[in-house]
Amino acid sequence: MNKHQIDADLVRRLAALLDETGLTELEYSTNSLRVRVAKNHGGAAVSVAVPPPAAPSAGAAARETTAPARGEHPGAVTSPMVGTAYCAPEPGAMPFVKVGDAVRPGQTLLIIEAMKVMNPVAAPRAGTVTEILVRDAQPVEYGEVLLIIE
Amino acid sequence: MFEKILIANRGEIALRIHRACRELGIQTVAVHSTADADAMHVRLADESVCIGPPPSRGSYLNMPAILSAATVTGADAIHPGVGFLAENADFAQMVVEHGFTFIGPTPEHIRVMGDKISAKLAMRRLGVPVVPGTDDPVTDDATAERLARDIGFPVLVKAAAGGGGRGMKLARSPGELAGALAAARAEAKAAFGNDAVYLEKFLERPRHIELQVLGDGQGSVIHLGERDCSLQRRHQKLLEEAPSPALNADERIRLGERVLAAMTELDYASAGTLEFLYEDGRFYFIEMNTRLQVEHPVSEMITGIDLVREQIRIAAGGRIGIAQDQVRFSGHAIEVRINAEHPVTFVPSPGRIGDYHAPGGPGVRVDSALYAGYRVPPHYDSLISKLIVYGATRNECLMRLRRALEEYVIDGIETTIPLHRRVIGATDFINGDYDIHWLERFVEQPQAPA
Repeated sequence: MNKHQIDADLVRRLAALLDETGLTELEYSTNSLRVRVAKNHGGAAVSVAVPPPAAPSAGAAARETTAPARGEHPGAVTSPMVGTAYCAPEPGAMPFVKVGDAVRPGQTLLIIEAMKVMNPVAAPRAGTVTEILVRDAQPVEYGEVLLIIE
Repeated sequence: MFEKILIANRGEIALRIHRACRELGIQTVAVHSTADADAMHVRLADESVCIGPPPSRGSYLNMPAILSAATVTGADAIHPGVGFLAENADFAQMVVEHGFTFIGPTPEHIRVMGDKISAKLAMRRLGVPVVPGTDDPVTDDATAERLARDIGFPVLVKAAAGGGGRGMKLARSPGELAGALAAARAEAKAAFGNDAVYLEKFLERPRHIELQVLGDGQGSVIHLGERDCSLQRRHQKLLEEAPSPALNADERIRLGERVLAAMTELDYASAGTLEFLYEDGRFYFIEMNTRLQVEHPVSEMITGIDLVREQIRIAAGGRIGIAQDQVRFSGHAIEVRINAEHPVTFVPSPGRIGDYHAPGGPGVRVDSALYAGYRVPPHYDSLISKLIVYGATRNECLMRLRRALEEYVIDGIETTIPLHRRVIGATDFINGDYDIHWLERFVEQPQAPA
């Protein structure tokens, strides 16, 4: 857990910005602090992280990164390849899973398309989907966290 | 001109390509393995995409992953760099078929020069002298002996499907031939899955001299002079210089003319290097590399031509624009390759860089992706920096190189800087008097006590 005082005012302002602009995700970073607010299906989620004290990261704001806590989450399902993530079998169809769904091992969670080949991503274990971190048709890289199953 | 280029490589060469792109106002996409997430060029690139795990097979050699990354980022062109997929004709073909521009020669030229036997045949047909040898694999020992006598002992038995100096056995006399054939076949089978072997004349004390060419695929080819890369250990180059201290002006001109005629007939496009062994005033073609080479900076320093920029410009449809006699050669340049290895045992030394201070001042260029705190990963080759010095004369270069090496600080890991400092102090090197076996003899000498 972080040991810093949470700047509640900053977080409130970021959350208000989300509503105002209709964005689903906002990340704000300085040399000592990174705050990400994201709107998931149930409401806004907030994560506050202090980046490790290693050399400053150029272009951190420009990169689409998920908060560090997610990558280490035991229930994280990561992308096995670089491509485009699709949350539904075809445009307009029901998504494979929603937050709150119970899933069986091997159940298709989403599809990664690479080079015109559709690659299903299967649930590695049984559990409940607690977070979906990608949007439909979002480009994803190898190792990127797609969803969390607990 | 391209708007976005994907760099399909890593390390210092990826940084080199990124720099050339940025100077042309082109956006860069850095694809990388998980081990390279903190690489300098990844941090500097406009976009980065993680394409796979540390082993190259899953990342830097992973063609679908690279093409997929190019698709999702909307890149226009792909620069393959050095090694990895740079000379993979299938990859070049796939890049083109998927609608991207491959920054390099045509897949056909990559294919012809990739097969060592066909490359020699092509060069011979184009009037370039080649190492005497057999055109086809030798199948029985009796024929092999007859052919070897024609070539003249000593001969090398080489794997037809080989490369990188592997699968080669020496036979100094007819009596040694049978043993060399058997050993080479066995090693070839194990290393390349193919035991076809051919014979080639063995040169006792050759120098390795290569010629840098640049073509635009629209009728123009120029050369940027030769590089002497004779300082090698286990067929890996350690130091390169341009021009070669061994050639005189006549030899240089004759070699250039012969090569230019061949490359013009091929209508070669992009950068390429023809490698020769040089002995007793004669050149023998051994192979052509249809890509940028690690040591390209020394040719850039003596001609003022930016090879990576030219590759990009040519791939975007640009023409060479100058004639050979407008290429200006000036001064001398030396590059040393600094590896993350112990300078005496050559044991690899990956790990975290502590203090880092690169040399500077007049005539000093450092092509390196190192920074203080960077972790050199253990998964890839050990080249971590290229120190290039330029001077009006070779002597000026030697003094400058000695001075620059004194200044260079790379803390936290072992590097071959101490080895380079010893080499450049050796009388033979100072006199420019070395062949491709010199360095291995030099490192085997016991060192004088400090």
